[in-house]
Amino acid sequence: MAPTLVNVAVGVLLGVALLGIAFDRRSIAIVGLAAALPDLDAALALLVPGATNAAFHSLFLAAIVGSVLYWDTERRETSWLRGRYGLYGVRVAWVAVASFVVAGIVFDLFTSVGVALLYPLVDRYYVVSGRLVLSSQEGVVQTYFDLGEGWLALETTGRTSTHRIDTWVTPTDDERRLRLVESGWQLVVVLTAIAAVPAKYALEGGEP
Amino acid sequence: MPASTVHVGFGLLLAAGLLGKYYDRTALLVVVAALLLPEADALAGWVMAGAHRTLFHNYVFTAVLAAALWWDTRRETSWLRGRFGTYGVRVAWVAVFAHTFAHLALDWAHLDGINALWPLHDEFFRLEGELYVSSEAGLVQTFVDLEDVGFGGGASRAETHVATPADPTPDSDPGPVDRRVPIAVGGWQLYLVAVGLFVVVAKRFQSEPPRAGSRRERY
Repeated sequence: MAPTLVNVAVGVLLGVALLGIAFDRRSIAIVGLAAALPDLDAALALLVPGATNAAFHSLFLAAIVGSVLYWDTERRETSWLRGRYGLYGVRVAWVAVASFVVAGIVFDLFTSVGVALLYPLVDRYYVVSGRLVLSSQEGVVQTYFDLGEGWLALETTGRTSTHRIDTWVTPTDDERRLRLVESGWQLVVVLTAIAAVPAKYALEGGEP
Repeated sequence: MPASTVHVGFGLLLAAGLLGKYYDRTALLVVVAALLLPEADALAGWVMAGAHRTLFHNYVFTAVLAAALWWDTRRETSWLRGRFGTYGVRVAWVAVFAHTFAHLALDWAHLDGINALWPLHDEFFRLEGELYVSSEAGLVQTFVDLEDVGFGGGASRAETHVATPADPTPDSDPGPVDRRVPIAVGGWQLYLVAVGLFVVVAKRFQSEPPRAGSRRERY
């Protein structure tokens, strides 16, 4: 998994971008934490080997949560969430789901050692890596997706039974590592999130 | 440069939130322009060695911009506010923020980095390293070498050429060259492009409730 700190930073940036009128200290904390939730499956890996980047990184879980929210807020006569927390609650819930999926799961798909997106139906870790470059000598160079078979194919890094992912709770050797930031650009994302929240307050300063 | 597409993607993510109620197409276009224009220093590379990532890619330029903006908007008769109102002031601040974080900072962590303190100090800096807690070594960070603090090590402007499609090589007569326009390199760059687009699309689906009245009101 990518460092959870960076997941949270992306989640905070999504919160600043999408919360709109519901932006406050409580809602930004909820949306930031939603991005950290998928990484809890690393702890589950103590009980279920191979759960890391699989159990809570599955799109099925996200689809269930999203469907329940959609049913409650859009389909029911009287929405429980809207009745309890009003439009504020509906907005925060949707942005938290977006943060869970986009900053928690999809981010790991693009940056880490692999995410079992379709677990438990398909026992495969997937990863998006490659490049898209326009070259004056070679034309369009695209290596993210394999289009050869006539459908989109993602690179896979193995199965949950064989592909070990090194985390603090399930180290692959004697040393345990809690990764906070893995590279320069990740530090930039974290610093940007730290700057964006006070910037939002400063810019909105006093205005409703 | 990480591709301009990456700067724009990350910049859209930042602008969407910081623009607040001034979020509209014009404001987004201004921010995108502010993210693209600094690349013009690549053109200066035809006449000035290492101009790209030097002329407009330094924190001195940003600080001067921010100071000028702060000075102008504090005045009784602010030019910017007089001309474009509070809308103009907000868009200008967001453009400076986006330039600093979505452009400068990302370039700082990419390839040769940026000539961060030019023209005060001519040296390319690159942000690179990792930060982790280890059961053996405790808290480890490799971004800043605390043993050897100070300038030194990085190359100066004349020694550094960051390739762009407009100026792919420092050679004066290189023969046939490959001009490459990167859209994204690596999963994370594609992600930043995608997340910027996601936010802009998501905002179209959001309905802002009327500001007056309680939050519990239905639409």
